[in-house]
Amino acid sequence: MKIGLEVHVQLPTKSKLFCPCPTTDAPAPNTHVCPVCLGFPGARPMMNGKAIEYGILLAKMLGCTVRDTTWFARKIYFYPDNVKNFQITQYDRPLGEKGMYYLNGKKPIRITRIHIEEDPGKIKRVGDLSSLIDYNRSGIPLAEIVTEPDLSTPAEAREFLGQLIRDIRHTIDIPDDGERSIRCDCNISVGIERCEVKNVTGLKNVERALTYELVRQTKLLKAGGKVVRETRRFDEERGVTISVRKKELEADYGYIDEPDLGIFNVKELAERLKIKESPQNMTLRISKEYGIDERTAKQFVSTSVELAHLFEELAAATDAETARMWTSGAVSAGWKAFEARGGGDTAEVISLVGKFRAGEITDTECNIRIRAFLTGTDTDEVRSGSSDLDSMIGEYLDVNPSVIEDYRKNEKAANRVIGHVMKQTGGACSSADIVDATKRLIEERL
Amino acid sequence: MSATSILSSLSKINEKYQMFRTITSDTEVGEAKFLFSAKDNLTSKDMETCSGSKILEGYRPPFDATSIARMREAGGMLVGKTNMDEFGFGTFSTNSAFGVPRNPYGPERSCGGSSGGAACAAAVMEGHVAIGVSTGGSICCPASFCGVYGMVPTYGRVSRYGLLDYGNSLDKIGIISAKASDLGKYIGIMAGSDPKDPTSCMQPDMGARRKLKSVAVPKDATEGVSEDVRTAFINGLETLKSMGVDVATVEMPSLKYAIPAYYVIATSEASTNLARYCGMRYGHQEGDLSLKFDDYFTSFRSQYFGQEAKRRILLGTFTRMVGFRDRYYSKARMVRQSIIEEYRSVLGECDAVLTPTMPFVSPKFSDISKMTPLESYKADILTGPPNIAGMPHASVPCGYDRDGMPIGMQFVADQWDEGVLFSAAEEWEKNFESVRPEVSI
Ligand SMILES: [Zn+2]
Repeated sequence: MKIGLEVHVQLPTKSKLFCPCPTTDAPAPNTHVCPVCLGFPGARPMMNGKAIEYGILLAKMLGCTVRDTTWFARKIYFYPDNVKNFQITQYDRPLGEKGMYYLNGKKPIRITRIHIEEDPGKIKRVGDLSSLIDYNRSGIPLAEIVTEPDLSTPAEAREFLGQLIRDIRHTIDIPDDGERSIRCDCNISVGIERCEVKNVTGLKNVERALTYELVRQTKLLKAGGKVVRETRRFDEERGVTISVRKKELEADYGYIDEPDLGIFNVKELAERLKIKESPQNMTLRISKEYGIDERTAKQFVSTSVELAHLFEELAAATDAETARMWTSGAVSAGWKAFEARGGGDTAEVISLVGKFRAGEITDTECNIRIRAFLTGTDTDEVRSGSSDLDSMIGEYLDVNPSVIEDYRKNEKAANRVIGHVMKQTGGACSSADIVDATKRLIEERL
Repeated sequence: MSATSILSSLSKINEKYQMFRTITSDTEVGEAKFLFSAKDNLTSKDMETCSGSKILEGYRPPFDATSIARMREAGGMLVGKTNMDEFGFGTFSTNSAFGVPRNPYGPERSCGGSSGGAACAAAVMEGHVAIGVSTGGSICCPASFCGVYGMVPTYGRVSRYGLLDYGNSLDKIGIISAKASDLGKYIGIMAGSDPKDPTSCMQPDMGARRKLKSVAVPKDATEGVSEDVRTAFINGLETLKSMGVDVATVEMPSLKYAIPAYYVIATSEASTNLARYCGMRYGHQEGDLSLKFDDYFTSFRSQYFGQEAKRRILLGTFTRMVGFRDRYYSKARMVRQSIIEEYRSVLGECDAVLTPTMPFVSPKFSDISKMTPLESYKADILTGPPNIAGMPHASVPCGYDRDGMPIGMQFVADQWDEGVLFSAAEEWEKNFESVRPEVSI
């Protein structure tokens, strides 16, 4: 089974791709429009340079080749939401080509291309005989990322898309607004012929649509039938795909170069633009560079990129193992509270861990002070709370020394202690605190 | 006729010559420093703009074209929109949905196209300049047929914002006037970069005027042209020599490929530009709205596009299609590049390339109706090359045939070198005795 995706991402520009109209939510239909995005005769496109920058950043993130020049094309098809009856997109010279992106850092997924294009308007059907069209979205900048058919299962496609969206958000600073700004065309083939399911929104629906197609195509082939090459759409409510048109009837778009925009020399821009490390790449690098397991690295990065940065700073100031221990322990435990207070300078944490390593303070003291710093509470308060917790855990370990032995083989042995203390404290201490303290005290006795 | 008297009698003149599609209702010149008209494919916010097409009848654009706006800012008053071949598709201005302009030297003859109305207005109205648009010869051809001066600046010199596109990579806005000095004056007003048209933003300054010292005549420049045109052109060369201009003969073998390449590029682009006219958002709206949208689009377009527009849409769609694109559209782009290089190398040695403008004088309508589309396309053989190359060029009157019909010749200069053409036209005017048409109402 082969799956390839075409992912559409809205680029976070303030104005539309070819005109100054805003990209923010409009107060009413057809209010964020002008002669350019309405395709009035005589009006012509003006390039939004920021969109090209975002496109190049994404192309680099996907490991694509960015050539020195790029240009746009007209894709001609007649549809009422398409104001000029042609869409300005990229055809024979997209921004990026031939990329490589690794799913979970391991499985290579080939990226065919990434290009920029304008979104059309939106059609709303009202009754049988009429439709309303809202052109507020006409000219909204999109990037389209096309993969080769390298994904093997619907679940893998969903995982890939999730990772891709996280990396895209991080690379071009798209705020987390759910999956609203992501649309996907899914190509799937079980046998030889493939079908395309157009315009699926959201990770869950991508997996559902692909699973439906997998079952449908497999059944069809087993029954001795043939899969027809066609375009289908996904009905979210019923969870099924429906045939829209057969492939042989599909339009020939008759592309020509967009003569109003000319050729863009992006060589210098592409050299100047540096991409931030993607969360996925950061996970892999941290795991490799500091010799910690991938799960822990992923936990740091997915909690927050800043936490992962702090880990790296701690490792530089002390050593990788000390940094790992304190980052997964006291620092992770207090991190949510620290972020909730607005985050900020973490030099204090580095200095405390440094003092611990130099033997100036005990681990218990270091733990208390880090916690107090991150949560913004008084050290005495933390101290009294944690000493109770510490003594409770210590007592349990004294009575049940086998836990220590079992922990050597399997870290899950700590769960016995944690379960016991949870019951004892009855919710008075946070679970993160209990887990942290338990691990710390067990490791002290190893 | 003087400026003030023009407006009062404009409607009457127009009845006879049909050079205007729309005339401003304002008959007072008032504060205006000069009067101008604009081809009907340039948007004007206080006036209907329909590009000679029924499909746009009644369309009033919400904005002025940059060229019109700049003329107004300079104190000009727009007196009307001139008649033209539908969307610029034609050589004789016989493809307009709104009547056919009549040649002021002979009403049974064409004004040329597609800016026929503009050239006619320039010929019959003194103290007035006409803005024209050229894609493949639409300024020089009518200027030549109507015995006036016409100039097309370098592609990108004048903003195309507000121009109803024919072929975006070819369209150029220029000036037609009975007075040579108007060319430089008014192109100067309209020129300059405009953020609303990215292709206008890379232009160098217009530069100083430069006296024309030498011209190159392609060896086969007069091949296939009529006897009268050849004679007038050779006389023109003699006059130039007497003015101290060196004349050399050169080989320019790739010019003959300009016409096929031009028609492929122009129709490819035109077929996409015309896609937006489907009876939905502007202009004429009518038809059975209960039809499926594609049936509606099809029926509307079948009814309201003219014959030539349909022909060019079909031609241009064909040349863009998979399987044909490489053979036609992509090939035409390569031909265009080699023509530009050929001009560059010749213009490195001399100031301008000179040929007749049109291969014949303005034909009679009765003869035009007998021409095949291919025969009329071939009339662009001399105006096609500078247009496809984006080179600035100007047509000046250089003689008259035995019926008194005007003949023109065409100077082509290097890109951005309009200065040499301005002074060439003005110097020529001093040495050539032009015959103004008699305009009776
Ligand atoms: Zn807009």
